[in-house]
Amino acid sequence: MRRVRAADADAFELLYDRYHRLVYGVALRVLGDPVGAEDVTQAVFLKIWSDPSLFRGGNFGAWIARVARNRSFDVVRSHAVRARGEFPESLPADDSLEETALAHIEGERVREALAALPAEQREPIELGFFGGVTQEQIALRVGVPLGTVKTRIRSGLRRLRNVLEGAVTV
Amino acid sequence: MTTHDQMLDSVAAYALGLLAPPEAKVVAAHIESCDRCREEYRFLQPAVTAVAYSAEAPSGESGGPLLKARVMKRVRADAARRSRPGSWPIYAIAAAALALAILTGLADLSLYGRLVREQAALASQAQMIADLTAPDSRHYRFAGGEVLARGERLYIAMRGLPMPPPGHVYQAWTLVKGATKVAPSVTFMPAGDGFAVVRLPEAATMLAAVAVSTEPEGGSRQPTTKPIAMVRI
Repeated sequence: MRRVRAADADAFELLYDRYHRLVYGVALRVLGDPVGAEDVTQAVFLKIWSDPSLFRGGNFGAWIARVARNRSFDVVRSHAVRARGEFPESLPADDSLEETALAHIEGERVREALAALPAEQREPIELGFFGGVTQEQIALRVGVPLGTVKTRIRSGLRRLRNVLEGAVTV
Repeated sequence: MTTHDQMLDSVAAYALGLLAPPEAKVVAAHIESCDRCREEYRFLQPAVTAVAYSAEAPSGESGGPLLKARVMKRVRADAARRSRPGSWPIYAIAAAALALAILTGLADLSLYGRLVREQAALASQAQMIADLTAPDSRHYRFAGGEVLARGERLYIAMRGLPMPPPGHVYQAWTLVKGATKVAPSVTFMPAGDGFAVVRLPEAATMLAAVAVSTEPEGGSRQPTTKPIAMVRI
């Protein structure tokens, strides 16, 4: 990012090569539309090029995934007004903690870890993250109290976190 | 379940990006002040990122070379434009223009009273030049220019600004950290060549964002048009 901030196009290309599948994948999952996902991918990367100061440290992959999700929801919002939560893009992350936990992360490995979660935990997490529905809407869909949904989301995230660390304790 | 257990559940929902802005703000403030919840938030963040990575597209299914070509064509064109000799960093142009103004002002001095007034203005301009060219000033790219901060001092430097419609001016807006509404700052007009450098009176360290919009002469209390530029600092 230091070189991108200095308007180094070659460095930016490396950044694109490394993260475009993540950005495109998140956008495609939210939008369900390859053309829309391409538009979001282009918009996200051009925004980073034109204003690299938007990234203020932490894990870049985590940050750009959040930006992709938020921009995808912007597209959805432009078609239908729905209440959605946005990621706290600006809250500082603990670099070392996240870097360690995300070392060698791969989409396939994470998909397996997610698939291994009990459905009652996996579904609200995926619905909330990619579907942009509120916890209340999830509770209605699943037919359980709101408090139960909240607890399942937290339990699922903790379990996923432990799997990533290679120490399944839940 | 205790109230704090419920808050920990909310922290998880916040990390996953599920909370509407009002609730998210409450949880964010709590995270800042509660060690246990901050630790939980930091612990869960990698899991949330992992959820995002689960959607990572396989190679060859992510827009392909055409998408990359579109992006890189614009990036390389912009990089080439910025690297042309005539395309100095805007702070350097601003400093050069101010230096010229100072020299011209000195040449025209003829009366002591004017000298006193000019000295005050020149001291301010000299400070501005020092800030704009200082290696420790912070630069935030802004549409058509930059926002620069050095210590508490904050500047907007823009080029290629068209003259606003008759009866209108450009107005700067600032967002104080933690605030939800922008506050009006100075109004300004570009020079004939579309160049503008403006010192904002607000303390840079107190601000989270700066924006510029076109407003009726005299300025507005709230933006009445969509900002032409906005940057988080």
